Amino acid sequence: MPERSDLVAASPVLRPPTGAPQQSAGAPRQSEGALRQSAAALRPPDARQGPGPIPGALLDALDVAIQRLIARTLAGSRRATGVGLGTELAQLRPYESGDDVRHIDAAASARTATLHVRVHVPERALTTWIVLDLSSSMAFGTTARLKADVAEGAALVFARLGLRRAGSVGVVACGVPGEPGGIRVLPPRGSKPGLVAVRKLLEEGVSPDGRSDPDMLAAALGRVFKLSRLPGLVAVISDFRDQHEWERPLGALRLRHAVVAVEIGDPAEAELPAVGRLALVDPETGELLRVDSSNRRLRERFAALERERRAAVASELRRLGIKHIALSTDQDWLVEIGRRIG
Amino acid sequence: MSFADPLWLLLLALLPLALIAQRYSRRRTRTYAVRFPAAATLQRALAEGGDRRLRRQLPIAALLVALALLVGAIAAPRVNHRVPIRAASLMLVLDHSGSMASSDVAPTRLQAAISAANTFIDQLPASARVGVVAFSTAPDTVQQPVTNHAETRTAIDNQQAVGGTDTGPALQLALQLLHGSQKGHPPAAIVLLSDGAANLGIDPVTVARLAHQERIPIYTVALGTPDGTLNEGLFSAPVPVPPDPQLMRAIARTSGGHAYDAQTESYLSSIYATLGRSLSTVNRKRDISVYFLIAAGLLLLAAALASVRTAARLP
Repeated sequence: MPERSDLVAASPVLRPPTGAPQQSAGAPRQSEGALRQSAAALRPPDARQGPGPIPGALLDALDVAIQRLIARTLAGSRRATGVGLGTELAQLRPYESGDDVRHIDAAASARTATLHVRVHVPERALTTWIVLDLSSSMAFGTTARLKADVAEGAALVFARLGLRRAGSVGVVACGVPGEPGGIRVLPPRGSKPGLVAVRKLLEEGVSPDGRSDPDMLAAALGRVFKLSRLPGLVAVISDFRDQHEWERPLGALRLRHAVVAVEIGDPAEAELPAVGRLALVDPETGELLRVDSSNRRLRERFAALERERRAAVASELRRLGIKHIALSTDQDWLVEIGRRIG
Repeated sequence: MSFADPLWLLLLALLPLALIAQRYSRRRTRTYAVRFPAAATLQRALAEGGDRRLRRQLPIAALLVALALLVGAIAAPRVNHRVPIRAASLMLVLDHSGSMASSDVAPTRLQAAISAANTFIDQLPASARVGVVAFSTAPDTVQQPVTNHAETRTAIDNQQAVGGTDTGPALQLALQLLHGSQKGHPPAAIVLLSDGAANLGIDPVTVARLAHQERIPIYTVALGTPDGTLNEGLFSAPVPVPPDPQLMRAIARTSGGHAYDAQTESYLSSIYATLGRSLSTVNRKRDISVYFLIAAGLLLLAAALASVRTAARLP
């Protein structure tokens, strides 16, 4: 396991505001080109560091742990294993030469007057759904990397693991501007196209500032529930911040799938550093806040409220029986995933 | 309080501009504000701790008040200030004629006049010289103007109500005692108290004209009520002894003084107290901009300390 934090270039640090206007850490880049494109589009954050290298050996080790998790969660409720190509209907498509005639669907062929074959998927092949939070609050980080970078890494890990053994990966991204309901769906795809699609989405970055939707996570989870027929793995990657009513759809998913919740945070969100007077802006609501961070009681109150909030998220996930992986921007997130899953 | 150069006060109109500039600079905050996803939690933490908005505004309020005081200092604020006239000489000319025994002013006119004259001396600064000429048919008690006020008090207290009213010679004598004929004599004034018409000797208005030439104003007090009477004996009818305010006014007007009519003892005392203050002291305007500057400096210091403590900068 190489030390990856030394690969990181300049780390954005929370500084007290100085007189000179400065681009604050992690704000989405607003180059002219990006502006010309569209105001409503994902943008790569300024201080993007990337998730760092993801060594294959570590991934292999994680694979075993995840498979164990899935087997434990879904054992007994998985569809009957059969021989051959499987018994679960994937789709009906017109016959092409070379198709096995035993798969011709008589009823469908009669209805459409063209030959149709039933395509089955092997039920051992697992579909992994990644619910990815792309809201602007993810473009924040005060230590090694941004929350969005960690989310990117976690999404890549789950995508690469999900693609093993002929699996397929679908993504439901929430907080995406320009999409109906702020939700973009990448349908499950296997092999290379699946990974390429995920990578392409991750390359696009996160939502620009000034958009907030407290129900987007719940909506994305509900969408996954509707789309996923087969039991599989659902990885929810978010900061679970300022979101309402996500517990119920997550619980519904839990009944069918193995669910992993990846909560991403930053040390500065847990405790306010004492750096004097601060002007802070909420990236999602755009609300401006002036605080005196040298006030010890304020810092203590803030830390207590944050602890309370995170404890509420953790206890809710525990109640639902969902694996909770809390990642922070200042640690080696890959090792942390392995530690929590194993 | 007044201002020597009130035009400078127009600078106060710049203070709202400073406020507007501050508001504008606060609006600029957004350009350097740090993005912080936990802002909602921080807002709750702020709300729980009570709003300290007022306390945050204190330094800027102190700064604005200090600026206002500085502008005030530029406009040269002044206050009225009474300073004793150096070597002021005052002459009390006191009528102790028989009619002063009338009791229409309680207890008697003379007693009221004596206590009022004492009040007058009370009001004088120690450096003022005061003398007295008491007269009835002729000026009989004469005390030169001296700084030892006790001597004058003794002279006043020993008066008895007897005889006629001979105002003219008494005024003439008072003028002499004030060295009115000398050029450049110290500032002086005469306070005349009488209750009746002058019925003997030189015409007081002539003396008043002389006093005007010598720049010695005569302040007159006509004592008594118009229906005042004097009981001379058990078997005679009461003699009416009305004061002569017309004559007193003429004396005052001619000499450049002021005439008062006193019909009660308390009013008489208040007249004398006022005269004592105004004749022995003079109104001076004193510049107090230095106090404005001190207050502004202290406020600036307080504002700086308060804001350095919380914001590590000047307001």
